[in-house]
Amino acid sequence: MSGENVRSGDVGSRDPASGNAAREAATRSVRETRAAARGARRAERRARSPYSAVRTGPGRALTAVYGILAFAASGRAAYQLLPQNFSAAPFAYTLSALSAAVYILATVCLVIGSRTSHRIAVAACVFEAAGVLVVGTLSFTHPEYFAHPSVWSMFGVGYGFVPLVLPFVGLWWLLRVQRTVRGA
Amino acid sequence: MIPLLTQALVGYSLVLTIVTLVLALRNRAAGRWTLIGTAAMLLLLLAQAVVSIVLWGQSPDTDGVLFFGYLLTAIVVVPLAGGWAYAELSRWGPAVLAVAGVTVAVMIVRMDQIWI
Repeated sequence: MSGENVRSGDVGSRDPASGNAAREAATRSVRETRAAARGARRAERRARSPYSAVRTGPGRALTAVYGILAFAASGRAAYQLLPQNFSAAPFAYTLSALSAAVYILATVCLVIGSRTSHRIAVAACVFEAAGVLVVGTLSFTHPEYFAHPSVWSMFGVGYGFVPLVLPFVGLWWLLRVQRTVRGA
Repeated sequence: MIPLLTQALVGYSLVLTIVTLVLALRNRAAGRWTLIGTAAMLLLLLAQAVVSIVLWGQSPDTDGVLFFGYLLTAIVVVPLAGGWAYAELSRWGPAVLAVAGVTVAVMIVRMDQIWI
């Protein structure tokens, strides 16, 4: 790369034709036009999805964690819904499938970031928080329903308590974004 | 599962987690070496896949769908997280890799339990 620079500089010094400068100016203006168009597209996207989490670094990281959890939960749910497995613990396995669906919903809504999807994401996070608290408590008081683990049983111990922490982090994030958007 | 490979996988994924966590805490974005480190993680997982398929006949009681479901998930998560981290230009790229590293470590431990 630096070699090319030296070479073009050499050519310039040997042949100070005006065409070179004109071409450079033309290239620069094309580049500037493209940058402006890119900026306009970005602004348009921003206007359409003011709540999107993928706009800032921490939001993208949160989306990634949600995505990984959604992926893990739906993998487990798919396995548990196989015909030869489902009858072992229908209640816990149905809960697994439900929680996986809600995690996918939350991930998608975090990315879309329109006003409606923001509300859906808040609802999904509240549902997840309620789910992990209720199912976590039930798995201690009524262990007979939870002979087989689900994402939420024992407050999500099988997933390093991520299901217990994540909805609250998600809610905190969503409310923070909401404050920023409404305040602006 | 070969114990040595399992230990290498768990150890390496934890090392990757710690290194990327330090990068995130020091406010560094993921660079070329982070990408190479993630690729090495993926290569180790692919080696595990080959080993599992070769040794499959010796463990008739292992639940194949469950085991290979875990293995496939890990193999998918690592390049996704690596690509994500490389595209991300802030400290949150390595943070995503750290999360993926912990996930892979847990999944390898689970695979070791599933393999009979």
